[in-house]
Amino acid sequence: MGRYDHEMALASTNQLTDSHQSPAGWQARLAMEFERRDDSTILTRHEHSGPLRIQKALYPEGREICHAIILHPPAGIVGGDRLTIEVDVKPHAHVLLTTPGASKWYRSSGATAAQSVSLRVGAGSTVEWLPQESIIFSGAQAQMQAQIELAEGARFIGVETICFGRRASGEIFDRGNLKLVTDIRQQGRKLWRERGVIPGSSALLNSPIGLAGFSVCSTLLVAGATIGPEVLAACRSVTAPEVQAASGVTAMPLLLVGRYLGHSTEAAREWLVALWSIVRPTLTGYDAVTPRIWAT
Amino acid sequence: MAKVEARESTIIFRPNEQRHLMLARLLQLASPALPVGAYSYSQGLEWAVEAGTVIDEATALVWIGDQLELNVGRYEAPMLLRMMAAWRECMSVGADETNAEAETTMQQGGRAKDALRAVACGNTPLSQLDAEYLASRESAELRAETLQMGYSMTRLLNELGDFPQALLDELHRDENQVSGSYLYVWTCAAAHWQIPDQDALTAWLWSWAENQTMAALKAVPLGQAGGQRLLQEIGRCLPAIVEQAMAMDEADISNFAPGFAIACCRHETQYTRIFRS
Repeated sequence: MGRYDHEMALASTNQLTDSHQSPAGWQARLAMEFERRDDSTILTRHEHSGPLRIQKALYPEGREICHAIILHPPAGIVGGDRLTIEVDVKPHAHVLLTTPGASKWYRSSGATAAQSVSLRVGAGSTVEWLPQESIIFSGAQAQMQAQIELAEGARFIGVETICFGRRASGEIFDRGNLKLVTDIRQQGRKLWRERGVIPGSSALLNSPIGLAGFSVCSTLLVAGATIGPEVLAACRSVTAPEVQAASGVTAMPLLLVGRYLGHSTEAAREWLVALWSIVRPTLTGYDAVTPRIWAT
Repeated sequence: MAKVEARESTIIFRPNEQRHLMLARLLQLASPALPVGAYSYSQGLEWAVEAGTVIDEATALVWIGDQLELNVGRYEAPMLLRMMAAWRECMSVGADETNAEAETTMQQGGRAKDALRAVACGNTPLSQLDAEYLASRESAELRAETLQMGYSMTRLLNELGDFPQALLDELHRDENQVSGSYLYVWTCAAAHWQIPDQDALTAWLWSWAENQTMAALKAVPLGQAGGQRLLQEIGRCLPAIVEQAMAMDEADISNFAPGFAIACCRHETQYTRIFRS
């Protein structure tokens, strides 16, 4: 563990801003299991190896919904890292997962960094996957994978915001590669499948069919429930909170998809929260209250 | 009119004739005269015109060319090749069983059909591929488009008299779904007519591009000569896109195209429109 401590100390003093390679990469894994007991969702089991942790279960909305904050103390992901997050939610539970800050995917000198998220949502359960944005530094070799398995009557609300390059410091994502894999299945039926291969040199970054020159891309996925026309119309009426942006919402069987392209992470989050605030009460009966950790 | 009884598979052609026949079948599959309603879909292009992204021949070429190179060529194209291979696999098992059946006489009627169904139905590569393709459709209109065209194509194949009943049965999917995707049904016909992969793919991409160009002609609008210049340019790019798809690993498949996805979403509420996607 000594190596990790040293790396974390480095990370916390922000010295990992440029090219960095951990010799063998960090193999970090976090597995969590949630269960419904009486009126509560309980974190019944969690185990971790490497620098991935869960902050203790929180109940800001009462016992029914368990909020868990996933910590990655190094705060940055470097070439060779492998982060694995496995969440198993037993029937009739409700879990909200988020992160304390942005995930930074640093420039790599060659090795790929990978994050794999697997969510198993039991019958009648709800999982809200609300991580903060992923910043893909120019030159990063990043792979982000998410597999979501829903049992009968299970629901999933997930957001993803990707920032291509560090816009604030004028950096554009012109080198490296980002690979995205997202699958949502319900009882074996495929609801959503996205594959993204986005090299830094790709024409996708400026193409009108791709990122159209925008640096921030957000996606909202709501799966397991059929969204009615009123809710869809309400989602569509949310206007982008920045002048230059594009957004769209569509509803398919057991799936709602929202897309946002813009330049500001804050605006993208505002848009996502506005849609989440419409969808969440309809699906769960609970109003959307943004996790306090987002404000820190 | 009396139904055509003879199937191509029962007629012996000389090699040259076989090649000409394949080309004729391929042209039939790629023709805008194929009654599947392709002309009524613009796949977000109508919104791109409304939004001012596509305003002339040059910007139409960017939209259609980028879609072809960065999205259709990197997702639909490799999916088409995988489906072709899966259909061929399924048909070869069906054919083997048919031969075996002929040899072992009458008592096993229906075995070929059962064998074909066993391969094609349920948890097999074919239905999985179709499910993966459908799950990758970005918007309600795109999903409805491929299902409607798949349904129309299935009806058409039923009318042609050249397809074994077991194959036609397979095209009518489970109770939740009237038919498979258009790609699924189209590749069934292409595989049955023994069209080589690269030819089938080139034809599919060509007819896609032709349909997009026709949409641009109406929506932008563009003149006929402008449309032909577009097609000439796109035709020039096709070989590289086909070659890339033929060599593509599973890990390099990509349908990530948020600008396109947003255009398709926005089209759903576009006030004045002539296209269904």
